[in-house]
Amino acid sequence: MNEPAAKPALPPGRSWRDIRQEVQPVAMSRRGRQRQILAWTKAIGISLLLAGVTGAVYYLAHSWATDRASLATAVRSERVREVVLITNGVLAQAWVSEVLALPKASSLMALDLPTLRKRLMVHGQVQVAVLTRNFPDALVVTLQERTPVARVQVQAGTTAPQQLLVAKDGVVYEGRNYDQQMLAGLPWLDGIRLVPLAEGFAPIAGMAEVSSLLSTVQLQAPHLYRGWLIVSLARLAVADEIVVKAQDIPEIIFTRKRPFFKQVAQLDYIIDRAHDLPDPMLKSVNLTFDGQVPVRLENASPDASSKPSGKFLKPVGQRKEKREF
Amino acid sequence: MSSNRTRIIAAVEIGTNKIVVLVGQVSPSRLLDIIGVGVTSARGIMKGEVVDYKAACEATHEALEMASTRAGASIQEVWLAQSGGHLDAFYNEASVNVKSADNIVTALDMATVCAMAKEKELPEGRSRIHEIRRPYRLDGRTVPAPEHLVARRLEVGYWIIHGPASKVSDNIHVIGGYHLEVRELVLASLASGSLLTNTEERTKGALVIDMGKGVTDYVLYRDGHVLVTGTLAVAGEHLTNDLSLGLRITTAQAEMLKLRHARGTVQTRDKTDKVWLNGDGAFGDRQISKLAIETITAARTLEILEVVKQKLGPAFEAQHCGAGVILTGGTSRMPGLEEAAARIFGLPARRGEAPTWVNDELRDPMFSTALGIFEFALRGAHEHPVPAPRKSGWLGSLARIFATA
Repeated sequence: MNEPAAKPALPPGRSWRDIRQEVQPVAMSRRGRQRQILAWTKAIGISLLLAGVTGAVYYLAHSWATDRASLATAVRSERVREVVLITNGVLAQAWVSEVLALPKASSLMALDLPTLRKRLMVHGQVQVAVLTRNFPDALVVTLQERTPVARVQVQAGTTAPQQLLVAKDGVVYEGRNYDQQMLAGLPWLDGIRLVPLAEGFAPIAGMAEVSSLLSTVQLQAPHLYRGWLIVSLARLAVADEIVVKAQDIPEIIFTRKRPFFKQVAQLDYIIDRAHDLPDPMLKSVNLTFDGQVPVRLENASPDASSKPSGKFLKPVGQRKEKREF
Repeated sequence: MSSNRTRIIAAVEIGTNKIVVLVGQVSPSRLLDIIGVGVTSARGIMKGEVVDYKAACEATHEALEMASTRAGASIQEVWLAQSGGHLDAFYNEASVNVKSADNIVTALDMATVCAMAKEKELPEGRSRIHEIRRPYRLDGRTVPAPEHLVARRLEVGYWIIHGPASKVSDNIHVIGGYHLEVRELVLASLASGSLLTNTEERTKGALVIDMGKGVTDYVLYRDGHVLVTGTLAVAGEHLTNDLSLGLRITTAQAEMLKLRHARGTVQTRDKTDKVWLNGDGAFGDRQISKLAIETITAARTLEILEVVKQKLGPAFEAQHCGAGVILTGGTSRMPGLEEAAARIFGLPARRGEAPTWVNDELRDPMFSTALGIFEFALRGAHEHPVPAPRKSGWLGSLARIFATA
């Protein structure tokens, strides 16, 4: 029942829609005037907001087109007066400032944070670095540092030998600010081949297992750990074995196929039992077998030493424990 | 109604007795949810016309505020009922010869004949309220959609409702005084008729009489279309006046008597059957014959209905009014009115019942017109397109912010 779409001629006479609806404020009721004032207030507020947004957009567009550098200073940014260091390790604020080498009188906004971060990440001791601007004048550097688990001796060409540290993830780095006594307690790594890169060396494979072994013995049998001198990875890749040279035992062979906790327990037991022997000098303890632990003694007779092992000791689990771990 | 956003609309009836405001939330899919009601006693209104602008504004704005507060939403536009003795209507028709050589009716033919039918000049100072089209006729036969049909002659008629611009403006300005815009003006009788009749009843033919305090509105439907509308400036208030004069009592007493004992037909036979005037047993209270009360009110009721019948004239034919007479408005609560209407029109008469979707609280006849405004505007938009909001898009939204609080 819609009327035809074609445009009809306008009918003569006024429609009620032609009546002017607005009334003078004096003809309005108090409520009507309140509504009108509220409406105008809203209108003015929205107009101001629109004007502000328009002005801001224009300013940004104009600055972008004419003077982009001024955009960097749009935020209140001052010369960097302070570098704040937050770290979980031992690096010092002075070292960070030296590495960053911030140009004097540079404003906070002008800093190139990705470049500065790269400068920090070059150093292997830094595992994670986060740089944040703390307006108006402070640069906050948050570091997560690597922890050394062993050390290596490196000599390149005719230079003097240099001691480097190795972290759990195999990264080799030059340690700074560490306690020298702590470093002296770290075992040396042996049986590895360092591959030089543009910056430092390639990470050493298998360090996760070494770290696990060292942390286990450090935690469960610290008296044994104190005597460990060298950890060799020479047979790790081919035989899954980690060979440790201790002060009183020239060769302790661990395998990564069995839990280190159990192997350390067996070792501790064997050392205890060896003390009961007339001549307690152990030459080799092989912990790679699950059921038996071949042990060689220093003064064993040729007949005895020709046997696969000097003595066969039953696994710890089948004996009465002497020590609880 | 082409808006794609939910609108908060107030349907307002500025009556002689009460001002009723219903706030509805109209969704883009034309679903209506009544969310607020405001009713106040009318002031400054006489027979549907504003006679005291300030008093009318106060009462109307109070009702708008009440409805808006209850709805918890700000009213965005108003659909206003229009009633009163100042309204008038006439029928005008036009015919054209179908232009095309093969006598197939085109959209242009329809547009031309519609424009011609609406071209009737109005008296000076009057404004059109509604232009209600009746069905097209093709060579004398009635068709709802003549396009692409074959005929030689196309005819159409319009029922044009108009009123004095000054009085229509007064009503609109009362709303404008609340800083709101009237988006639709709906004749009160059309609103009530839309609510209280269904399509079947309108097709069978129905007469809807809305008897208020100061004005009686009526609308006659036939073949599903509005045939005649009208307004009488006589209604329940006259019953009160008659009682006051006839029984020599005050208007307030007469109003009380009317509410308690008035009837549309005389039922009491016993002359000695009396009722107390005030009913409080206080000094000055006296007994009045119930027969006298009923005689007075029945006489006036029958007279009003008789005038309605006379105004309908030849348009009213009982055999074409199958759905009978439907009564609404405040005075329709008077007992015996249905019998009186049945006697005058020779048809079954009943009180109008709001559709089932109407909440129980809104089923009172007092709300018929306000509810009908929504019904008419939402349903009738297909026949008489409700204009879309004047501004759309974000500019329109901005303009609405400026326009509404």
